[in-house]
Amino acid sequence: MKELLGILKDTRRHLMSGVSYMIPFVVGGGILLALSVVFYGQGAVPDATTHQFLYELFNIGAKGFSLMIPIMAGYIGFSIADRPAIAPAAIGAAVGDAMGAGFLGGLVAGFLGGIVVYYLKKIKLPKSLKSLLTIIIIPVVGTFIVAGSMQWVLGGPIAAATLFLTDFLASLSSGSIVILAIVMGCMIAFDMGGPVNKVAYAFAIMSVSNGNYNIAGISAICVAIPSLAVGIATFMAPKKFKEEELEAGKAGFLMGLIGITEGAIPFAAADPLKVIPANMIGSAVGGSIAALLGVTTTVAWGGIIVLPASTNIIGFLIALAVGSIVAAVIMVSLKKEVAFEEEEDFDDDIELEIEFI
Amino acid sequence: MKMVAVTSCPSGVAHTYLSAESLAVAAKKNGIEIKVETQGSIGIENELTAEEIVAADIVILTNAVAIKNEERFKGKPIVRVSVGDCIKKGDAIMRNIKKKLEK
Repeated sequence: MKELLGILKDTRRHLMSGVSYMIPFVVGGGILLALSVVFYGQGAVPDATTHQFLYELFNIGAKGFSLMIPIMAGYIGFSIADRPAIAPAAIGAAVGDAMGAGFLGGLVAGFLGGIVVYYLKKIKLPKSLKSLLTIIIIPVVGTFIVAGSMQWVLGGPIAAATLFLTDFLASLSSGSIVILAIVMGCMIAFDMGGPVNKVAYAFAIMSVSNGNYNIAGISAICVAIPSLAVGIATFMAPKKFKEEELEAGKAGFLMGLIGITEGAIPFAAADPLKVIPANMIGSAVGGSIAALLGVTTTVAWGGIIVLPASTNIIGFLIALAVGSIVAAVIMVSLKKEVAFEEEEDFDDDIELEIEFI
Repeated sequence: MKMVAVTSCPSGVAHTYLSAESLAVAAKKNGIEIKVETQGSIGIENELTAEEIVAADIVILTNAVAIKNEERFKGKPIVRVSVGDCIKKGDAIMRNIKKKLEK
């Protein structure tokens, strides 16, 4: 019981592991899929007979997409109970996905797989039979328990919950979607690629996998804004930044264009109280504009690179530009010139605990 | 004093390397010999060898995502820190570890 609590205490870490292994599948599959739709030019799945190449490209992208939930679940399992948990969790998630349990089902299968394998690993066997445990028992018994639970017990209810959530997201009126955009903008800009950001991002992925593209549109704007904003701020007021920050600003701008929020980190680390609120406000503004203009994106990523996969491209650019400029202006007006800047004291003490595994 | 560290973060493009650099700088400042392995999205870089792990007095692991091959550190004293603390409070981490190990 104590061990189970230990696993659940680290829920966030396990979830982040799963998401981090999933991201390349989302980006790779999503962008190829989006490109095929864009080149087809009719906003639909390319026709197999008239546009064979695009149809095949679409299928490549779709294959990558269909792997994303099993991969996420597999690596949630990996995070909990190492390598043997990957197969049971991934197979369980694929079973759930086929029933319509989607992203939520992946989460459940991932944690279930990790926990089941964690306990299966504890089975005591004589030394001569020990290798059987990892080669036969865990894969077979573990997969039967996890995938079986998804198939016969959990899959149905989770699919129903997913359907409910999808309908709910689809029904969000323009008023409430702005509130959602503000919350998402603040979360995404708050820790720039950290856990809070990833929760909001996971929500965007979930929405896309359920066929709601407006949330991903908001997220695509929000994730780009902090990095773009630090770049714009260094261009606007070079005197308020240190030499190395000016360099980091250019890099940040480029990272923003390709949808990487982490570009703003060096700035936020040096001056959190000014940079983070500015970015949160900017992202919330940009996200709200995207929501109001009805920007949608079919790939759960951000920045200019998802432009081909978005509707209302003008709205996308307006939201991105306004949000970034708002954040940059706030940042610049809060910051003093470098000469007067006090050295921030990072030497506050820290509590560390030494453990053994 | 010898130290080995492994850093990793969810997206594996920025925090992983920022924290590795910050730890290396802070260790140097405190006269600690350090090697930092990064587990970014590109894979494992600067991988720790078995000898280096045996020789280390302390192991630092970031706690954002699961560290690959964690079983290598069985029996070693391990400190888990957040990526954010590595970046912002590298110096405090080093001083704190020194104090703890001298006890």
